[in-house]
Amino acid sequence: MPDVYNWQLGRNMDYRFETGKQQRQFAAVFNINRCIACQTCTMACKSTWTFSPGQELMWWNNVETKPYGGYPQHWDTKILDLQEQANPGKQTWDPNKKDAKSAPYGTFEGKTIFETADGVNQMATGYIPSEEEWKAPNIFEDAATKYSKEGVSLPEHSGWFFYLQRICNHCTYPACVAACPRNAAYKREEDGIVLIDQNRCRGYRKCVEACPYKKSMYRPSTRTSEKCIGCYPRVEGSDPLTHGLPMETRCMTACIGKIRLQGLVKVGADGQWLEDRQNPLYYLVHVAKIALPLYPQFGTQPNVYYIPPRWVPRNYLEQMFGPGVQSAIDAYTNPSRETLAVLQLFRATQEIVFSYKVEPGPKTMELTVAGQKRELFNDTVVGYDSNGKEIVRVSVDEPLIERPDRFTLNTI
Amino acid sequence: MNVLKLILQHRRLSAGLAIAVVTAALLQVTNTNPAVSQTLALTAYEAPSDPGVDPEAGIWKDISGVNVPLSAQAGSYVAGGSVKMVKAQALHFDGKLFVRVSWADATDDSSTTKVQDFADAVALEFPQSATAAVPSICMGQADSAVNIWQWRADSNNGVRDPNVAYTNALVDMYPSTEALFYTARAANNPFAQLDRGAVQSLYSKAFGELHTLDFQEVQGLGTRTGDGWAVVFERKFDTGRAGHALFAPSTNMDMAFAVWDGSQDERNGKKAVSQFVNLSIAAAPAVTGGGDQTRTIIFAAGLGIGLVLIGGGLAIYGYRENGD
Repeated sequence: MPDVYNWQLGRNMDYRFETGKQQRQFAAVFNINRCIACQTCTMACKSTWTFSPGQELMWWNNVETKPYGGYPQHWDTKILDLQEQANPGKQTWDPNKKDAKSAPYGTFEGKTIFETADGVNQMATGYIPSEEEWKAPNIFEDAATKYSKEGVSLPEHSGWFFYLQRICNHCTYPACVAACPRNAAYKREEDGIVLIDQNRCRGYRKCVEACPYKKSMYRPSTRTSEKCIGCYPRVEGSDPLTHGLPMETRCMTACIGKIRLQGLVKVGADGQWLEDRQNPLYYLVHVAKIALPLYPQFGTQPNVYYIPPRWVPRNYLEQMFGPGVQSAIDAYTNPSRETLAVLQLFRATQEIVFSYKVEPGPKTMELTVAGQKRELFNDTVVGYDSNGKEIVRVSVDEPLIERPDRFTLNTI
Repeated sequence: MNVLKLILQHRRLSAGLAIAVVTAALLQVTNTNPAVSQTLALTAYEAPSDPGVDPEAGIWKDISGVNVPLSAQAGSYVAGGSVKMVKAQALHFDGKLFVRVSWADATDDSSTTKVQDFADAVALEFPQSATAAVPSICMGQADSAVNIWQWRADSNNGVRDPNVAYTNALVDMYPSTEALFYTARAANNPFAQLDRGAVQSLYSKAFGELHTLDFQEVQGLGTRTGDGWAVVFERKFDTGRAGHALFAPSTNMDMAFAVWDGSQDERNGKKAVSQFVNLSIAAAPAVTGGGDQTRTIIFAAGLGIGLVLIGGGLAIYGYRENGD
């Protein structure tokens, strides 16, 4: 089995296929701190792709309430449990074996889902959730761990919950692709989007079993499995709205909380992100390091990154996002001028931003956050499309517009 | 007293004989026949009338068949093997081959509406071309493909939308129900089409390279029996198309069986398989009226006697060796 490098784990691992042919990778950053679980993303996806017979329980995008909720129910704790059973007491990280680029979170010393599987009967450790477990996309909505009469305060709330926004991670090492005996599941070379060939699939549900994020779903009306397609026609630029330019997916662009930013990053022959300092995703993930992968220890190198919620106990977050949690929260709580500017790009345009530039602005405020003295500057971030053309321009300070007290027209 | 003394004196002789007798008895009682399926022969005689695809048709009660032992497939990985034996019968009539397969399976897995449900299934495998080398029994090989006829219990029932399967389901509306919105169907996935019957005719040249043939010529029907399934396959000897196994009277053909038990999550390579059985298509008419004399009993009895003789021989050898 080929030996591949997983930078999220800081080490090599076995995977069924070689890397090296991919040119770009679909990637996104979700800011958990801003999500209100309105499910607009969920419905944007549903009403675009999964509204037909046999797709009733299929939610390619869902927002679930952690720690109790899950779609399918308990998907993550079940996988964690299977992994723990396979390698008891050893699913640990060494956060000190670190390298800024190749092992930014340290080194995972436990086993991935590929390494706990026998590689013959099962390519990845997993299970098939039953139909009952798929029936509620946001079960235990808003259920907190406890009610605190005295109230809660940062840095960690005593009673807490948070929303986790989930789509297919279009993993660099997808378990669904490794598991499919017919190679019906595949990863596109042009953008790394993972698809299931609906002509080849024979509904064995090996992908449903293997995907640790449970984003391959069975459709009984065609007896095949389907999954999030990363809105590839939009990413390819075939939506007439953007005149041939790459466009973000439906779930991203519909986000009213402006928590999502999606794009395409450059990938090298080893499957790793190439240095691309001015790509906003590269900046958030590899430079500012405020966005972290979801359950990196599964080993699939997922490509949706999360800014972890500031109020949640760190041990829970570290189990979910790895050892980079505290520094990510610190960097988000006290953002640099550049980070604050790049965060303004979230949902500023439907077109994919390939690069950005920050134009410095005047100091507008001095304040104290978490005991630290801060200065705010009204910088402006400018986003550019794949051709280097300016497509968006946003300032850190929201412009204040004072209306006259009398209107010429009867406006609200 | 003298016998006891003899046994005590010649323990190896006694042990050898005892093992041989017990083995023969076990084979006889359990009706198993682990090693002889390569030599099994299934003869398709000419039926007096069209047997049709109904597995309950009376003629099948009157003709003999063979019990074919199955084991977990071990070609790519070892998995499956829930079903240990199928009974196979064959007939031909008016240029058509009929094969009836029956096996014990306590659970009726004929719905795949739920994500965790897998269907019971049975498949017959033939060399795709009589002129090529004998193909690998495990899904064929590059220079010698196999033609596979697979019957599935869910296809037998007909594929249904979940809101049809769940009669009390509440659905607001389906904005569009054209084939385009059944993605796999629109992508011409033969497996996702409606009304394709219970049997698919496929070909394969390697693991992971199973394809549906463009023309579907195999008919089939399965019914639940008291303790399992009975399935009849029917196809013209010669479809006139490349890639379809070709049969003719007075010829022999290799044939293998595979069975999946859905309740054991068997699908894909996780299945029970046989060795090649020799299917012979006899020009002679079927002898009916004598009842079903399935031949494994004879095989098992023969094997039992053989093993007794071998065991005896070994025991005597041991006795002599002991004597030296």
